[in-house]
Amino acid sequence: MLENYFPVLLFIGIALVMGVVPLVLGMLVGPHRPDEKKLSPYECGFEAFEDARMKFDVRFYLVAILFILFDLEIAFLFPWAIVLKEIGTFGFVSMMIFLAILVVGFVYEWMKGALEWE
Amino acid sequence: MNFETVLFYLFAAVTVFAALRVITARNPLHAVLFLVLAFVSSAGIWMLLEAEFLAIALVLVYVGAVMVLFLFVVMMLDINIEQLRKGFWQWLPLGGLLAALIGVQMVWVLGADEISAGTTAVKHAADYSNTKELGRLIYTDYVYPFEIAAVLLLVAMVAAIALTLRKRRDTKRQDVNKQVKVRREDRVRIVSVPSARQVESVQEAAASNHGHTAD
Amino acid sequence: MMEAQALQLVESLLSFLGLWELLRGFIEPAWHVVWTVLKIFAIILPIMGGVAYYTLAERKVLGFMQVRPGPNRVGYWGLLQPVADGLKLLCKEIIIPTNSNKFLFLAAPVLALTPALAAWAVIPFDDGMILADVNAGLLYLLAMTSLGVYGIIIAGWASNSKYAFLGALRSAAQIVSYELAMGFALVCVLLAAQSMNMGDIVRGQQSEYGLFGWYWIPLFPMLVVYFIAGVAETNRAPFDMAEGESEIVAGFHVEYSGMGFALFFLAEYANMILIAALSSVMFLGGWLNPFQGWPVLGELTAWVPGLVWMLGKMSIFLFLFLWLRATFPRYRYDQLMRLGWKVFIPLTLVWVVVVATWMQTPWWLW
Repeated sequence: MLENYFPVLLFIGIALVMGVVPLVLGMLVGPHRPDEKKLSPYECGFEAFEDARMKFDVRFYLVAILFILFDLEIAFLFPWAIVLKEIGTFGFVSMMIFLAILVVGFVYEWMKGALEWE
Repeated sequence: MNFETVLFYLFAAVTVFAALRVITARNPLHAVLFLVLAFVSSAGIWMLLEAEFLAIALVLVYVGAVMVLFLFVVMMLDINIEQLRKGFWQWLPLGGLLAALIGVQMVWVLGADEISAGTTAVKHAADYSNTKELGRLIYTDYVYPFEIAAVLLLVAMVAAIALTLRKRRDTKRQDVNKQVKVRREDRVRIVSVPSARQVESVQEAAASNHGHTAD
Repeated sequence: MMEAQALQLVESLLSFLGLWELLRGFIEPAWHVVWTVLKIFAIILPIMGGVAYYTLAERKVLGFMQVRPGPNRVGYWGLLQPVADGLKLLCKEIIIPTNSNKFLFLAAPVLALTPALAAWAVIPFDDGMILADVNAGLLYLLAMTSLGVYGIIIAGWASNSKYAFLGALRSAAQIVSYELAMGFALVCVLLAAQSMNMGDIVRGQQSEYGLFGWYWIPLFPMLVVYFIAGVAETNRAPFDMAEGESEIVAGFHVEYSGMGFALFFLAEYANMILIAALSSVMFLGGWLNPFQGWPVLGELTAWVPGLVWMLGKMSIFLFLFLWLRATFPRYRYDQLMRLGWKVFIPLTLVWVVVVATWMQTPWWLW
């Protein structure tokens, strides 16, 4: 089994190299003439006056949390999906109960307006 | 020493180094990124144990989802590092106690007979599917813990909403269902206006036309 | 095995030059690694070329749809345009803005490109023509696509620019939302194929009914959801408000120039081609002949290699990307989130249940 993953490991390594090489090449080939105006962050015609990293709407955190929960649900669905024919009706029913419990949560989110984007 | 052992020591070294940097890095963002590295390399270790589903699920769930949330939180909250460091000595005894407790537990578990007996890992054929093996067990033999996992996820969902959902009143929202349900008759009325008029009736027609648009 | 044959070829070549005895000690033990690296480049280089000419195709197709010729100055019919673009980007200065986090600023494009390329390790191009024939292929793909978001978030944060930051934020929330719909759609494919191995997924669609045996028939809603989610994942029009040039100038990569920008571009296009390849493999039977088993057409087309069918199916989806871009106006952010959370997730969840129930009955034919 592991020998199948060896090319994957190698591929990830080569993909990293493929990313680094053009950057290094670009730095070597391209000019390097910095000046203050050129290096200042883009702003519509005036000076940048504060740190750009600001607090933002808590809604983004909610999206991230809900994403984790649903991602876990998907992780549970994956092994189930590929053995459904083997585990038969019992496995089918146990997953339906699992999904039903989570659909309750989904409906709750919906009703509470957590999925609304204002 | 074969190639697998070399890989194991490589992954293990990276994991330990990254984990150390997580607690020593000054910039919280760097700490999060080192945590990502630690997860990726421990996924590599799991893969060496032929636990392919767990290894990839670790990357999928922890690196792909949980750490994204961590990044959000760390990047976008102004964390005052000085203030965080203040309580260091005060909390050190408690932290040390917890660490010792975890250490004892791990030794205890890893030293157990059932686990040490299985240390000579079984080699599987190329078509062995770790995921299928898991699937056969989770949804049948371990169905009870599986459903409890569903309840836990439900609790987490409700808790997340209770903690973070704040309604803002000053925003305008569009209700797509209402928009879709709009019929032509609600908005438009066809008025038949004679195309050619006699000169003397112009004023009359204008008056009636005006009446229509007003309502 | 091709591996052994290739080694023989190298041996005969080198012994012709009289170098074989000298180099034998280096080549033979490492041959497996060398051969794998060669195969990896045989995948990566065509992708790079594909990306280059896909940008030309995009400009040509958009041009024709808007009744103008598109690029036609560099080379015959503009065929050298991608080369010129690449060279220009290479020769531009890489600007690192003040107050940015230098290391992360440079690492972000690499982090965007790496998963986009690494995902290709498990894509089958023809029967047996696959680099890593792993059992958890589809899971690996989902994991790799979920890593793409790091490049974007880190780019937005490291630039220390408001526009980049806003773009990254929007983009990250958008990508994670659509990833869920994508994941659920994949579960349906797994149900139908009963395997996560990409080759098995294609072989599961083989039948004597040709294209009617593919999964696009029972999973048609999932094909639609998957492709649209793929468009949203790659931040393409009409879901490109992460870049939204009219409001946040270019989003997360506003501060990037030269090769840094080129890498983001490469990653985006490599991801688009990946989505096209995945849609073909999972729903349109990958390398299979659409007329297989049909009376006349089947025999007439039997000689066509599987790779040709695979590339043909991919180009259908790649054209769809461009068609969508030329046709639809940009979505608004709240509409986008609504589509992801309130339409796609319920729809895919329902379809998982439908397919699973369907499989419990004797009427499941696939």
